Amino acid sequence: MAIEDMAFLIPVLPALAFVLTFFLGKKLPNGGAIIPIVAIFASFIISLMITLNLLQNPEQVISQSYNWFAILNVGILIDPLAAVMLCMVSFVSLLIHIYAVGYMSHDKAQPRYFAETALFTAAMLGVVLSDNILQFFICWELVGLCSYLLIGFWFEKPSAASAAKKAFLTTRVGDVMFLAGIILLFSDIFRIYNGSIPEGVYVLRFDEIFTHIPEIAALNTQIFGFQVSHLTIVTLLFFGGAVGKSGQFPLHVWLPDAMEGPTTVSALIHAATMVTAGVYLVARTFPMFVAAPYSLLVVAYLGAFTALFAATMGLVMNDIKRVLAFSTISQLGYMMLGLGMGAVIGITAVGDSLFHLINHAFFKALLFLCAGSVIHAVGTQDIRQMGGVRKVMPITFATMLIASLALAGFGIPGTSIGVSGFFSKDPIIEAAYLFGESTENWMPYIFSIVAALLTSIYIFRLIFMTFTGKPRTNYKGHESPSVMTVPLMILGVLALVFGALTKTGFGKFLEETFTNNFVNMDIHALAEIGKYHLASHGAGGEPLLILWMPVIVAVAGLLISYLIYGMRIIDMSGIVSRKNPIYKLLYNRYYQNTIFTQFLAVKVVYEGLALAGRAIDRGFDWLVDMIGYIFTEASDGLRQLQTGVVQNYATSVVTGVSLLIILVKLILEVF
Amino acid sequence: MIPLFYYLALSAIIFSIGLFGFMTQRSGIRMLMCVELMLNAANINLVAFSSYNADLTGQVFALYSIALAAAEAAVGFAILMSIYRVRDMIDLDKINVLRW
Repeated sequence: MAIEDMAFLIPVLPALAFVLTFFLGKKLPNGGAIIPIVAIFASFIISLMITLNLLQNPEQVISQSYNWFAILNVGILIDPLAAVMLCMVSFVSLLIHIYAVGYMSHDKAQPRYFAETALFTAAMLGVVLSDNILQFFICWELVGLCSYLLIGFWFEKPSAASAAKKAFLTTRVGDVMFLAGIILLFSDIFRIYNGSIPEGVYVLRFDEIFTHIPEIAALNTQIFGFQVSHLTIVTLLFFGGAVGKSGQFPLHVWLPDAMEGPTTVSALIHAATMVTAGVYLVARTFPMFVAAPYSLLVVAYLGAFTALFAATMGLVMNDIKRVLAFSTISQLGYMMLGLGMGAVIGITAVGDSLFHLINHAFFKALLFLCAGSVIHAVGTQDIRQMGGVRKVMPITFATMLIASLALAGFGIPGTSIGVSGFFSKDPIIEAAYLFGESTENWMPYIFSIVAALLTSIYIFRLIFMTFTGKPRTNYKGHESPSVMTVPLMILGVLALVFGALTKTGFGKFLEETFTNNFVNMDIHALAEIGKYHLASHGAGGEPLLILWMPVIVAVAGLLISYLIYGMRIIDMSGIVSRKNPIYKLLYNRYYQNTIFTQFLAVKVVYEGLALAGRAIDRGFDWLVDMIGYIFTEASDGLRQLQTGVVQNYATSVVTGVSLLIILVKLILEVF
Repeated sequence: MIPLFYYLALSAIIFSIGLFGFMTQRSGIRMLMCVELMLNAANINLVAFSSYNADLTGQVFALYSIALAAAEAAVGFAILMSIYRVRDMIDLDKINVLRW
């Protein structure tokens, strides 16, 4: 049996595991955790074999397509881009499932937990290997549903229930934009074919979409007096979906609240996999973005802004998971920035961004799992009540330190020494420098460098406050069981060495996706359409200071954190107080929640839309009531005719017949 | 042979008597009897025309009509009997509980 015949099993096995666990989980030990673990392990093995095969034979892309109805299909597409995502998703999911056996051991609803995470894994794998945008969207919605279910896993807690609702509604804003983009794209391709689609052409398949890029780019619409290409509209709508799912500004508000779910859920869905679906969407449709004027710039600016914006809020959070949530938003901003840098470095951007995505999945999942381990042992999420946890949890401390170093990006430029985050974050920052050089616009570079400094500060603040010093409360900590620490150690090793091992091959492997593979795109020609000027040389050749800059800010951040929170030399009490307006602004997350609920929800939606809607509704109500009233009154009069006296009816019958006879007689006389 | 006109005249007279009775009487039984009169007037017409045209269809029709009249009378009298049991009278003017 050839390996490509088993490709469909990758999402199907976890889906089966969902059904089995859901119905049989109660009867098995640990809530039936063994079923999804085995299923996802099998998925991982298949994914790994496909990826290894692709590495050796890049032309053996798996592409299977079946007719669904009319001009739409279902299918599987595993090219290098999908392959690395498949491996990452199934691997991280596998480790987190194993970890969850320990983490969820005290929970009564274990079968539900494992069933839902298995369904999530199936849906996420489905997103990754979709070969058409509609199937992509369906799985995309399915992961959104699983996210909703798992955030609200402890739905007895009002905060968890409302966080789940918030996540669902906020991402829905993006999803509606995504759907609108799909509809517009569909109608454009339909128009290009003049409404008659040839036999065997599936309009929403990625390769089909990509072949029509120049034609779609040529379609224009007037918006506010500007000529806007349809390709720009479609890509920006897609990006709108990515903004919702990947927690970019201004739709990031759901992600910090999503931490109400179990920590394993945060690690799996809200750090490693689902939130990267937006990045994956942009990477998947990268040829469209690179041919669409302005789209990549929007992606780059919004990504850079989000990276900085979220990092500032990460500085002041006291909940260990909230810090990590803002860190995730910030790192997703980096990935978006990396993709946006396609405006300068072309296809290399996909490799850079996905490299950071994979590395981030490892170290951020690790950070969350470590945080979960700490929470499990200490019983609180507030880092002000921790301190000195290093002594009781040495393995957790060591792995979390590695993950933090990876997040902050420690390493030596020009060598192979460094943690994974270093090798992936640096190319993005360097690309931002190139972007600044070629367009004289330094904003993305400055934002990304400042965000790197803040990243280092907030993550080491977390480390120092949690693990060093003396315990600030009386907690009874203990090291977690080995079912939890072994996944930590595996992820720790990956966070440490994955970047160094794959830094050269990874980008090259991914660049093949669009240029030399399933689809054969000329990225330079596409960039001409999008009016982007690709730099003639790639990253590298920058001044030495620029190369060292990310490391310098990372070390600076570590030192600042050490002085404030490690040694406690600098007294922060004057700054860290509710009286300081900047601290207050950050602590209240720029009042964005207040704006969304007090202004958008209450003023605009409730007092504006709802009241206007009620007035209109009343109007229609009155109209409907009037019609009913007229008929009631009329029938009240008319039914008096029904006297119930037989003779009256007989009289009218006789009168009618007599009149009829006279009438017939008259007509016969006249004609 | 008696001309057709006489049959038609007889039929018209009987029908008019039946119609007059139906319009003026209030008792259910009398009204049913008047309905029978009108039906039979029509039957006379049918048979007369049948014989006049030498076509048996009219007579067959008349037989049907008689059978129907019998059934109608049976149902009608049954209803009137039940009404009588409840109300002790069969004055159709007073039976108007289902009116508006």
